[in-house]
Amino acid sequence: MSYIVVDGISKTFKVSKRSSGMKAALKSFFKRNYVYVDAVKDISFSIEKGEIVGYIGPNGAGKSTTIKMLSGILLPTAGNIKVNGFNPFKDRKKYVSNIGVVFGQRSQLAWDIPAEDTFDLLRDIYKLDDKKYQKNKEELVKLLNIEEIIKKPVRTLSLGERMRCEICASLLHEPKILFLDEPTIGLDAVSKKIVRDFILKINKEKKVTVILTTHDMMDIDTLAKRIILIGKGKILYDGSLKKLKTEYGSYKNIIVKTDDTIKEIKLKGIISKKKIDGGYNLIIDSNLVTVSKVVNYLSKYHITDLDIDNEQIDDIILKLYEDYKI
Amino acid sequence: MVKLFIQSIKLSIKSQIEYKGSFILNGISQLFIFFTYYFMIVALFSKFNNIKGFTVYEVLLCFSIIQFGYSITETFFRGIDKFEDLIIDGSLDRFLVRPRGILFQTLCSDVDFIKIFRVIQSVIVLIISLINLDIVWNINKVIVLILCLISSILIFFGLFVLTSSYCFITLQGLEVKNVFTDGGKYMAQYPIGIYRKGIVFIFTFIIPYAFINYYPLLYFLDKTNNTLYMFSPLLVLIFLVPCLWSFKIGLKHYNSAGS
Repeated sequence: MSYIVVDGISKTFKVSKRSSGMKAALKSFFKRNYVYVDAVKDISFSIEKGEIVGYIGPNGAGKSTTIKMLSGILLPTAGNIKVNGFNPFKDRKKYVSNIGVVFGQRSQLAWDIPAEDTFDLLRDIYKLDDKKYQKNKEELVKLLNIEEIIKKPVRTLSLGERMRCEICASLLHEPKILFLDEPTIGLDAVSKKIVRDFILKINKEKKVTVILTTHDMMDIDTLAKRIILIGKGKILYDGSLKKLKTEYGSYKNIIVKTDDTIKEIKLKGIISKKKIDGGYNLIIDSNLVTVSKVVNYLSKYHITDLDIDNEQIDDIILKLYEDYKI
Repeated sequence: MVKLFIQSIKLSIKSQIEYKGSFILNGISQLFIFFTYYFMIVALFSKFNNIKGFTVYEVLLCFSIIQFGYSITETFFRGIDKFEDLIIDGSLDRFLVRPRGILFQTLCSDVDFIKIFRVIQSVIVLIISLINLDIVWNINKVIVLILCLISSILIFFGLFVLTSSYCFITLQGLEVKNVFTDGGKYMAQYPIGIYRKGIVFIFTFIIPYAFINYYPLLYFLDKTNNTLYMFSPLLVLIFLVPCLWSFKIGLKHYNSAGS
């Protein structure tokens, strides 16, 4: 059996509904109309030990809800979850020692005191052996390069510094599974790189299974070999990133710098042609036409520069969203 | 567990003294608030000698026991008082991914150390009233007094837990809770026996304030010889059962908030 097995889970929320305006507000005070919203509908997947899985989807797709059910915060309305033999919600106290959770938008560090103090508190919460804790802490702190940072009050830290402390805090008890809910949200390029490198490292060295949600496709590109795409509470794609790229990423972006006027290109597989400043932007489907054919065709014009780009994963995702109408 | 609680208290205090100025000013304001209550009772008794047979120091004894329990709860169990905030800002999600009880973590989450001033003041008033009452001390009376103080803490703790259970469903604090905690506290500052029958009934069988500040005090002040009265504070333990139970039920209905 797989390490994490999610079997047909759903989560339905009861939400009170009302239209805008004071009158509607007063009306809803006396009589409320409830609607049932399916945040997640009949989702199944399984994850092996040591995998890094990118869990992606637009806002409100049900990513956080799934993470919350996996980490034992919410009870699924229907379906079953088994992680390492535990039922996350029912065996909560035993289960959560095995997992680390980072909510990118919420802090687990006490605001007014240095992060190191919170770390020490976590040692007591998780009943960790002090020697092991010190060793583990030193290692994490060094890897994340936060030796000085953890001695300053958390409120004085930058977002990137704080996030590194958050990640450190969630790994002090050496969890086997790490849930990251938008770990790079709002970070600058340097911090993002540190966080990504770190995630790769602990996955490789400590065999930590990582499940992360993100909107940053660079995260996915560098970290996840496998992605699960979710939209409107349903799984739309579950598989390798490579396959997704070849299936949906056959488009290539060609930027042609020229002073000539290129008329209509009579070739199959030209998806679009746009005039841009000092040239053209072509998008071609490499399944229908090879790049060399296009370049060959263009050679009759006076071209000063040519730039061929694979389609960015962002575009692929956008296309997927469009295909599935989410 | 005790170690962890003390550790959490230390951190809370550390956080609070980060803001020195506000800490000192708050401390001073605590003094004023408390002594307003105190002088109101004293002023009342300058007009009347007694209320239904209770003298000023007997009422002050009652007052200090209730204040003691309330201020201890407010000081050390602040998290449960502010429970709706924990739900809204997502702290509860964080507690749920840690291998400890939720109620325990809630208690650890915040200590309002400034309120310790109120605890000290209530102890001062307690001592003042004990000195001025001619009490024939014996071991039983010491036990009654200790039981009263402990169960006074427990009843407010129970009330806070009860009202916070409601937050799980509404995700919001309930102003009604103040009727029972604050409002009840004001009434219970006087011996419950001085009120009308309906109120005595409510504060005996629904929220058992009377088992803290009335029945045991009758024994303590030699107004009765019935030793059953001596152990009446223990009945507060029964009150704790539905409180803790409702918290457990509430937790099952928890639906988290936001992303």
